[in-house]
Formats: sequence, C-alpha cells, structure tokens
Amino acid sequence: MKILIVEDERELLESMVTYLKGENYLCETAADYKTARQKIESFNYDCILLDVSLPDGNGLSLLKELKADKKTDGVIVISAKNSIQDRIKGLNSGADDYLAKPFHLSELNARISAVIRRRRFEGNKILVFHEMTIDLAAKTISVNNKNVDLTRKEFDLLLYLAYNKNRVLSKNAIAEHLSGDEVEFLDNFDFIYTHMKNLKKKLHHAGCKDYIKSVYGLGYKFDI
Amino acid sequence: MKLLNKTIRSYLIYSFTILLVTIPLFYFVVRTVLLHTVDKSLRKQLGEIRSNLYSIHSEEELGIWSKLDKDISLSPTSINFKDSTYTIYKFTRKHHEHEDEPYREIAGTITVSGKLYKLVISSSLIENDDLLGSILLVQTILVILLMAGMLWINRNISKKIWQPFYSALNNMHQYELNKHTIPSLKESNIEEFNELNKAIKNLFDRSHQIYIQQKEFTENASHEMQTPLAIFQSKLELLMQTMPLTEEQAVLIHSLENTNQRLVRLNKSLLLLSKIENNQYPATEEVSIITIAEKIVDQFRAHADLKKITIAEKYTGNTIVKANTTLIEILISNLLSNAIRYNIPQGKIHIEIEKKSMLIQNTGLPITLHTEKIFDRFHKENYPGGNMDSIGLGLAIVRKICEMYQFDVSYNFFNNLHCFTVNFTQS
Repeated sequence: MKILIVEDERELLESMVTYLKGENYLCETAADYKTARQKIESFNYDCILLDVSLPDGNGLSLLKELKADKKTDGVIVISAKNSIQDRIKGLNSGADDYLAKPFHLSELNARISAVIRRRRFEGNKILVFHEMTIDLAAKTISVNNKNVDLTRKEFDLLLYLAYNKNRVLSKNAIAEHLSGDEVEFLDNFDFIYTHMKNLKKKLHHAGCKDYIKSVYGLGYKFDI
Repeated sequence: MKLLNKTIRSYLIYSFTILLVTIPLFYFVVRTVLLHTVDKSLRKQLGEIRSNLYSIHSEEELGIWSKLDKDISLSPTSINFKDSTYTIYKFTRKHHEHEDEPYREIAGTITVSGKLYKLVISSSLIENDDLLGSILLVQTILVILLMAGMLWINRNISKKIWQPFYSALNNMHQYELNKHTIPSLKESNIEEFNELNKAIKNLFDRSHQIYIQQKEFTENASHEMQTPLAIFQSKLELLMQTMPLTEEQAVLIHSLENTNQRLVRLNKSLLLLSKIENNQYPATEEVSIITIAEKIVDQFRAHADLKKITIAEKYTGNTIVKANTTLIEILISNLLSNAIRYNIPQGKIHIEIEKKSMLIQNTGLPITLHTEKIFDRFHKENYPGGNMDSIGLGLAIVRKICEMYQFDVSYNFFNNLHCFTVNFTQS
C-alpha cells in the first residue's frame, strides 16, 4: 500500500510517517505544493493525505487537479480550520474524508484503512482475526462463524481497535472516535468503560479469546 | 456647569463690574464738565458787567440796575479781592420744596463812582442736576439694554454655533466599536468643529482597525496553536507505542494526554468564540428549536443514562428563529452538557420549549451561582467536583450566540433547581 503525505509541518509529517510505517504502509512525503504535484502526476497512490494550507498553494486546488486528471487515488483532507464550511468544501471537491487538526494518529490510521478498503476491495470487505470475522459492509461480527449481536457503538469500538491492532489506543482517542463532536462538551470516560465492558462480555460469551487488553489506565490495545 | 453658562457668567461678571465702576465715574466727570461750563458763563457775565459799568454814573442808577436782575446782588465793601467761584446751598421760595437748592456763585469787586462794591452773580444748579440725572438714567438704561442684548445674542448664537459639537458628542455616545457604524458627522462652517469631526472620525477608524486586528489576532493565534497541539498529540501517541511501556510511564502519558486534550478543547472554544465575534457564521435559515433540541437530547441521552439522570422534555409550542443551525446546536448542547455535568447522580433535567422561549432546569448541588458572572469568560464557580475539567468558556459562548441574535439568556436558582432560560424574541 502506497501513501503520499502532503504536509508542511516537518514534525507532524514525521509522526505520521512513523505511525503509518508500523502499519506496513509505504509512505512518501511532500512538504510543499510543487513537490506534491509532481509526485501525484508521476505515481499512483492508494491514499493521499492532503494538508489544506501549504506554503506555496492550497491543498484543495491540488485535489481539484487530481480529480480533473481522473485519478482514482483516495484522498483525506487535513485542515487546521475545523469549520463546517471547510469540511463541506473539502468533501465537495472530491475528498473521501476530512480530518481536522489536531487529530489522533490512530484516528488517521482508521480513516486511511476505511478509505483504502472502500476503494480497493470492492465487495470483499471482511477482516479476519483468528476466530473473529468482521464484515465491514454488513457491519456485523461473527466468532467461529456464529453471529455476535453488537450495538452500533460496540461495533465501532471493535472496528477502531481492529484497525489499530497491536497499538495502544488512549481513552481520549477512543472517546473522540466514539462520540465525535460531543466529546468537546463531555469529558468523562465512563461511557467508554460501559461500552468496553459490554463488548468484552459479548465476545467472551461467543467464545472469543480476550484480545482487548487494558494498558495501565491509559487506554486499550487489540493484541493479536 | 455647561460651557455656555460658564462663558456667559464671565461676561456678566465683567459687565457688571464695569457698570458699577463707570456710573459714579461718569457722574463725576459730567458734573465737573457742567460746573466748568457754569463757571465760564459766570465769569463772562462778570466781565460784561465790568465793561458796561461806564454807563452807570450814580449810586441810584446802580441800585436800580442791581434790582433788575435777581441773580445779582451788590454790597459795598472795603477790601478789594480776587474773583472767586463757589457752590452754595440757599433756601429759596422759587420752588415749593423746603430744601436748600444748590447755586453756583461768582464774587468779585467793582468800582462805581470811586466807591468799591462787592458783586455776586449766582446761577442755579438745579437744572444742571436734573440734566445730570437724566443723562445717568439714559446711560444706565442703555447699558442694561446692551447687556441684556449681549446675553440674548450670546445664548442664541452659541446654541447654534455649538450645534455641531453637540451632535459630535451624541455620535460618540452612540458609537459601537464592534459594529463600526460611523454616523454622518455634521459639516460646519467653523474650522475647529470640522477639525474635531475629523479627529473623531480618525479615532473611530483607528480604534476599529485595532479592534479588527485584535480579533484577527485571537483567531490567528488559535489557528496557529492547532499545529503544535497536533504535533504534541502525535508524539504522545508515538510515545505510547514504545516498548517496554511501564505503568509509571503510562500514567504520565495519560496525564499529559488529558492536559493536551484540555488545551485542544480550550483552543477550539476560543476559536469558536472569535469566529462568532468575527461573524463567520453568516448563513442563517429558519431553525426549529424543537428539532434541534430533540437531536441534542438524543446525542446526550447515553451520557445522561450513565449518571442515571432522567431527561424530561415538554414542548408546548415551537419557536422558529432565523439563525445559523450550527450555532443554535452549540447553544443548546452547551446548556444541556452543563446540565448533565453539574448534575447529581439520579438527578433530573427538565427541558421545556414554549412559544418564544426555552427553559433548561437541572437538579444539582444547592449552590446559587452568580447570575451575571457565570456568563463571563473563564469565570469559574466554586462548585465541588465540577471545575476539574471545566474550560470556563461554555456559557460565554452561549451568551455570545444569544447576543448575536438578540436572544436573552438568564440564570436563576429556584426550588433547588438550576435554571437557564433563553428568550428567543428577536427584535
């Protein structure tokens, strides 16, 4: 899998590269508009992470060029401006997803996985972890071919953990992922505990091994 | 004291003093001049008598002549003296007043037929005094008329002249920095006022410019903060992945992450506030308060359930406001999230929407909060357990949104219930 990261902040770029390399992605980088344009013209990527504000241009016009060239690369727009207008503008320009700074790397990774899966594996949207199978299209999960009945939030939680398997996911990242914008106003982790407890209980009852490990109160890890 | 009265008062004091000093001065000057004239005429008369004496030859003729003129008196004398003039008060029957009348007299000597006589010619001063009185009266009336006229003109003209000043003053009173509507400053034909108007306009413009810059600064600063916060966040996440991760490290990272999250939220709230102030939510549409409230309650229901808080909704009439949907969502969700956060376990929340108003009541600790201050930025109440993660901007944002749409938001504590009321009457 090849990913192009267009981001002018070197430190942030490095963080993204480090995290995504661990997921076995091939990462290329571009710190400005010109470089990004050259790379996009010359190669095809599974996913492009596009920062809106670049020193020598706007990421959104890069996106427009990409679409004009009928390129099929998946694009996630990253912007420091978290406003609905920007979000709409980005998605209207043909982006697959939109992420506002500051974001969690695990969230970015989950979004990349979702975009790539949507584009690459038409019809085959299934993740398998030993006895556990996650059907992305039907949003269902089965353990040893037996369906496990999960709520929407529990499914989202499990998928988020699965996308970031073998990574420590902080409670903050999980909370933000599960509640979206609401987390800005409510800052307790009680609801994560509840969902996590129910999810683990259901998986255990279905005969699934306990893959979800707690990490010293910091967060959780899907150990596989 | 008004400027106008201050100048007029100075004029009045000056005029009055001058008047007081001039009236006696004038009296003495006129009197001296008059006496001088009388003296001159008396001396002339005496001279004429002396030069006509040749026609009188006997003592008898002199006696007859002296009786012809009542103003002349003649008496023999032995001493020859120089001519002298003096004022004397005599009782006369000419006027029916029993008062002495002033006379001016000249006394001199004449020689008739070798004999020396003292000749006294007198002239009544009563007419002179009358004249003096009339002159003074006319003078006083004139001065009073002059002063009254001056006052009247001063008052009227000043009012007209100062008109641009008062309108400029009024403009300054009405000026609002955030709206920057410069009222039309009246053109005047007086240079100073035009200068003043120019200075006021300059001041308005400069203040507004600085205000805009400051607003932009807050927004730009918040934007610039996003990137370092994102870097910090990403490094923390990488740190979490390092092996081996001890419990001690995990606890530290967790605490760092929580702090960073708080910074992120604070920054987002600041950005939101300055965006509202900078009018970056201009799109307005017909927003149904009930529709938004139902959506927000739905979002928060899970959080409320965790604390076993029941949310009761009562919608008796709907309000449709012309506003930005996002802002109304923020308004309601800020109030509702407070109602959950500062609630007690197994507490209650009551949302009531009537025609033109919304009420959110919640159970909580029996502490009356400052009705006005709670809407201030970064104001933190002494509320046990509630402050730890509070940013102190939620209600400031609520108020800012209400200000923007001329809604009225208020808080009160009644019957052990914390109650926020939003009145949606848009003028």
